[in-house]
Amino acid sequence: MNSLTDNSLMLQVKAGQVDKMGLLFERYHRPLYAFFYHSNGNAAASEDLVQNVFYRMLKYRHTFTGEGEFRTWMYHLARNVLADAAKKNKPALHHQDVADWAERLPGGTTADAQLQQTQDVALLHRALARLSPDHREVLVLSRFQELKYEQIAQLLDTTVGAVKVRAHRALGQLKDIYLKLENGSKVREL
Amino acid sequence: MEAKSVNCEAVQGELMDWLAGTLPAEQCWLLEKHLGQCPACRQELAAAQALWTSLGQLPVPEPSEQLRPRFYSMLADFQAQEERRQSWSVAGWLERLRQWWQPAYALRLAYGLALLTIGLVGGYSLRSRPETSGAGGQELAATEQPAADTRRQQVVLAMLADPSAVQRLRAVGYAGEEAHTNEHVVAALLSTLNQDPNVNVRLAALDVLSGLTNDPVVRQGLVRSLPRQDSPMVQAALADVMVQLQERGAKKPLQQLLRQDDLNEQVKDKLEQSLETLSNDPAPPPSSTPTTSHETPDDTRTA
Repeated sequence: MNSLTDNSLMLQVKAGQVDKMGLLFERYHRPLYAFFYHSNGNAAASEDLVQNVFYRMLKYRHTFTGEGEFRTWMYHLARNVLADAAKKNKPALHHQDVADWAERLPGGTTADAQLQQTQDVALLHRALARLSPDHREVLVLSRFQELKYEQIAQLLDTTVGAVKVRAHRALGQLKDIYLKLENGSKVREL
Repeated sequence: MEAKSVNCEAVQGELMDWLAGTLPAEQCWLLEKHLGQCPACRQELAAAQALWTSLGQLPVPEPSEQLRPRFYSMLADFQAQEERRQSWSVAGWLERLRQWWQPAYALRLAYGLALLTIGLVGGYSLRSRPETSGAGGQELAATEQPAADTRRQQVVLAMLADPSAVQRLRAVGYAGEEAHTNEHVVAALLSTLNQDPNVNVRLAALDVLSGLTNDPVVRQGLVRSLPRQDSPMVQAALADVMVQLQERGAKKPLQQLLRQDDLNEQVKDKLEQSLETLSNDPAPPPSSTPTTSHETPDDTRTA
């Protein structure tokens, strides 16, 4: 077996070569950061949560069996970290802040297209923030983390069919919210 | 109508796979065929695809530069914590034992064990002799006395191999009391003089040995020790002893020592003086208990 696969590295960490976690950090700190950032929209908090996931991977390394995929196990811990943070710090962690901040970006001197794009991004962020956590999660995992539906099903302890249905509904709701927000901002512009 | 709605439902079910690009080719073809006939589905899929694409293009800010150093310092802390925890476990002890087993320690330990074995064998032979000659009530006293000597000897020999210089210094002192009667202790003292890493311990051993120069083994040992010394203090003190003993056999080792490149200037003078003294003076019978005074070469010359 390739000694540099995720699973093999994590098994080495489990066997006591704790420093091997460095390579896994280099591979996954960005995806994890994106996972948290898309979930809570808070850059600083997302960094803390990334750190927290790596700490838990070290602390609970004995729970990694190597039978399943490393990524699935990692996101399992990441979801727990996110849920714990949400419980602890409900009002502080939410998307709305970043979306508003993105909306307030100075755009006067930039090209219209860029302004439009910034507004689209801000709107999409806000729409994502208004999704229910379950729906948001399945979109973040499938779209941003590029997990397969099979992996998400394993992670959420459900069937592949149920994951697809949930993702489909989430996308539909996101579209509805987005259109509503877009109409609202157009009304304001007029 | 019925058939169309079933088809539209199927499209809904396959939408997510189609977006993710995981829909098998055959189903893809069927879906696209349906899209050609159903404007409603076509519109819905186009909207879903646009949203899916926009989501994929949502920017993620770069994590700050602190994230990486923070992780690595956490990892280092974690490692240190683990090591501390392991030091209390069996594996930790084994690891420490392995670390202790460095060549220097191993050598000293082997040396100590060898001396101990010599002591035990020597002690045993001393003890068994009175037993074989065996004569009544005296037998008991005779066996008890060497047994006590042997024990003391063992302690001294073990102490001479102690890692602590203070312990070895003490041991040299005890050895002085034992050495008159025992060749093993003499051998251990000579070995200390030649090999001990601490100068003070070597000087102490030399001091004790210079009181035992009636023993030809000691005299020979001291002469042989000359070229092995690298400390100027021990070299000078040894040269003094040679002059006091009028040990002519020391002339060759002294000349050998003089040829060393990195010799201390004062030691060089001292050695030359000693050589001169040894060459000029007629050989008197060896004095019984010389001292290691540094003034001796001058005294002997004026005498």
